[in-house]
Amino acid sequence: MKIVTLPRLMLVLAIVLAAIYLFPLYWMYVTSLKGQSEIFANPPTFWPRDPDFSIFPETWERRHVGMFLGNSLVIGTGVTALTVLLGTGCAYVLARYRSAWIDVGLFTILMLQVLPASVMITPLYVGFNQLGLLNYPRTAVVLAASAKAIPFYIVLVRATFMNVPRELEEAALVDGNSRWGAFFFVVLPLARNGVLVLAILTFMQAFGEYIYSKSIITTQAYQPASVGLSGFLGPNSTDWNGIMAYAAMYVTPIVAIFVILQRRIVAGLTSGALK
Amino acid sequence: MKLFKLGLMAGMALSVIGVGAPALAEDVTITVWSIDGAQSVGPSDTFSKEFDEMDNGIKIDYRAMQFDEIVNETMRAFATGNAPDIVSLDNPDFALFSSRGAFLDITDMAAKSDVINADAYFEGPLNSVMWDGKLYGVGKYTDTIGIFYNKDMFAEAGIENPPKTWAEFEEYARKLVKPEDNVYGATISARGNEEGTFQFLPVIQMSGGSYKDVNTEGAREWLSMVKGMIDDGIMSRDVLSLGQWDSTGVFNSGNAAMAISGPWEIDRMVDDADFDWGVTLLPTFKEGDPRSSALGGYNLGILSTTKHPEEAFKTLEYFVSQDDRLFPEFGYLPTRGDVELTLSGIEKKDAALKIFQEQLKYAQPRGPHPEWQKISKALYDAEQAALTGQMTPDQALSQAQTTIDGIVK
Amino acid sequence: MRRILSSVRDGVGFDILLVSLTMIFLFALAGMPLVYNVMMSFQEVDMFNLGTFWRPFVGLENYQAVLSQPEFGLVMKNTAFFVFGSIAGQFSLGFLLAIFFMAKFPFASTIRGVFLVSWVMPGLVVGALWGWILAGDFGVLNAILKSLGIIDSTLFWKSDPSLSIWAVTMANIWLGLAFNMMLLSVGLAAIPRDVYEAAELDGANAFQRFTSITVPMMRATIGAVLALGLIYTLQQFDLFPAITEGGPANSSSVAQYWAWQRSFVLFDFAKGATISMMMLIFVFIASVVYVASTRHEVRE
Repeated sequence: MKIVTLPRLMLVLAIVLAAIYLFPLYWMYVTSLKGQSEIFANPPTFWPRDPDFSIFPETWERRHVGMFLGNSLVIGTGVTALTVLLGTGCAYVLARYRSAWIDVGLFTILMLQVLPASVMITPLYVGFNQLGLLNYPRTAVVLAASAKAIPFYIVLVRATFMNVPRELEEAALVDGNSRWGAFFFVVLPLARNGVLVLAILTFMQAFGEYIYSKSIITTQAYQPASVGLSGFLGPNSTDWNGIMAYAAMYVTPIVAIFVILQRRIVAGLTSGALK
Repeated sequence: MKLFKLGLMAGMALSVIGVGAPALAEDVTITVWSIDGAQSVGPSDTFSKEFDEMDNGIKIDYRAMQFDEIVNETMRAFATGNAPDIVSLDNPDFALFSSRGAFLDITDMAAKSDVINADAYFEGPLNSVMWDGKLYGVGKYTDTIGIFYNKDMFAEAGIENPPKTWAEFEEYARKLVKPEDNVYGATISARGNEEGTFQFLPVIQMSGGSYKDVNTEGAREWLSMVKGMIDDGIMSRDVLSLGQWDSTGVFNSGNAAMAISGPWEIDRMVDDADFDWGVTLLPTFKEGDPRSSALGGYNLGILSTTKHPEEAFKTLEYFVSQDDRLFPEFGYLPTRGDVELTLSGIEKKDAALKIFQEQLKYAQPRGPHPEWQKISKALYDAEQAALTGQMTPDQALSQAQTTIDGIVK
Repeated sequence: MRRILSSVRDGVGFDILLVSLTMIFLFALAGMPLVYNVMMSFQEVDMFNLGTFWRPFVGLENYQAVLSQPEFGLVMKNTAFFVFGSIAGQFSLGFLLAIFFMAKFPFASTIRGVFLVSWVMPGLVVGALWGWILAGDFGVLNAILKSLGIIDSTLFWKSDPSLSIWAVTMANIWLGLAFNMMLLSVGLAAIPRDVYEAAELDGANAFQRFTSITVPMMRATIGAVLALGLIYTLQQFDLFPAITEGGPANSSSVAQYWAWQRSFVLFDFAKGATISMMMLIFVFIASVVYVASTRHEVRE
């Protein structure tokens, strides 16, 4: 009897935990529907007194959300492509050997992460200006954001490569493949899941890139959605409902895609036992 | 041969057109940076657009900036040679640029101008655009603070008039608080940033001090009073983290009887507050004492790296010439005393406006000092340390004074 | 020439190429700013020389100035609290959730996936949301706690100096939970079932199985999670301006926020760079921990 109800119990518990965890998300949707001063009501209302759904189309129009999301897409894709391109090979090599050089390599890669983006922006801006890259703002942001994303990508993808049995690669080499061939046709397909998953996660982080875009992209037409969000903050007033509505529209597509893909993502991550 | 003749005629025709139409000469582009348009439409973007559309050989390239980034962006741009021609900055940040000659000295241009007249400006805003006796910019708009109070709650508690002194402020707040209904007696902003200083500096100034001399008896008294009110639940502890907008939001939703804030609140309050409210001048310590209030608002300046100072100045003149539209169209108060303000017809709004105009007479600037933000931090850190009880008001203000002495030296 | 080409395709050259391309890129885009900051911490900086490399040299003056700031000790203490608190919370809760979700019950993996939502939300939004939830009077956390009877008077998460650092730590734990849980799940999944079954047959109970099998076999993953967690936490910035702005009175200011505040609010770029340099020590430790944890990994 106990064995039959335990899974059910766990399911209920899981749902409760998830609900608790996702509460802030719920709050975001609810706040966007409230009135300007209702959000300050004490005690707070859990459901708006007078839900105003028109705030969504209104904000979409007024804030050019479509245009911003398009730019976020461009930047996200660019960063992901660059990261995967540069990071995968590097991670493969760092997983293949075990030596002092590898240690130094890993150590250096991590040490380059010491500065938060808010501090890196000034030298990068100056550097980009010198190279004339400020005329291609989204490209500049892609370069800067990739430099931030690559080290973590390498560290995590390396773990995936570690799980590819060495003998498979050895066998491929014995069979006459070159190193390149062995990597591309044997090892990479086996690590495909891990790479794919981390690429998706990199994309999602890059989609929300904010600090570099804020300073480097000056023309509104190229700004991503994260920068558009900060347009709601004024010196003396803040359109909180607008922010939440905007945030809702910004986050929902990502969450939706994520929910659809998450089976694949989680499966990919947990299929580590290839033995 | 025919072709040659044709070409010659075409060439002559073109040169005639070229000579006879000087307006087709290179248009000068002036870049203007301001915070207007980022969150909502404002004077700078509107006027820029209008000036751009005029046929005067000047094109305006307008960029809306995030208010908390505009100084940094301007600095970065300036350092890399990409500075705009005109920028609009919050008044305490102005001295950072003017003291280092990053703004163009327009004293002479203004003296010759028919539109810009330095004498017409209120003393406070004028001080913030001057440095070392020279003029470096013009005011864009200004604001100040006063007390918003809930007339219905006052009537209910039997209080006839709004408070005139800080002692009355405390007394009324204690009478008006209703903990069981979640109603605070009053709400202010003692936030850990420029907003906190914005509301605290006037207290120092009206007690005989200034940003260079902060440890006054009045300031210590006020800090003790406010701390007492917070500890007793008359004011929310959250005044330490809420900005003026959010704090007044609490007032609008009926959860506080009084709020200290400025004219930017009026439009929202007219819409959202379902009670009768009014505005009164900021209290003083004793009746009849000299008044003081905060000086808010933005200024416009021309960067010294501009390649077109004449055209930039003309742009500035246009902006200034539209000052009479500031209030009716945008709800901003002009920095000049010679502009007639048209009433909106909304009773509460116009009554509030009158009070704020009166208050402007006593508004004093923050600084001006090129390192204002550091001074400001010393002040709001001290305010917060005293209000949280981490230091006594005397200790807090002494420490602030030491820090400020090091900056002002 | 031929030899080089063939080495690239089929020898050591191949490895070197793959690594160096990436390294060059990273050095250019992350190394240069680091050098720039190091230099700035020894120079006198203002808006006029911001764009150049060579500025007046002031030796250790900036470092001395930073160390003598009244808030220095408090900020360092807060940073330590924030970092350890966040990592402890994220790691332990993440581990618990990872273990919980390894159990077999319907929809387990779907629900687990839902937790990763926090990782895809932009920091600004998360900060703004938590700023609202943690508000004293109109914040929903207090409303919930009061209705559950856990507290009876309002807790001012953002305005009480003793609570403010907890506030940001809480929000950060929420944010980082997903990352920890995910990586630990991966590590857990890599342990073959039969090892557990064998131990169970041998009579080991759940706790013993955990300590003698799970933890040792996950050493590499745990090392990675902790080291990366440390670096991520030190970089965590978006929450601070949105929730407490380092206040009240610097009681929730941490090194990375303080550095930013000095540079971009007070316009004192040299000091900001100096504080960032001090953070280097922590990242150094984290990197060493990570590299050490990978020593035991052998690719079979």
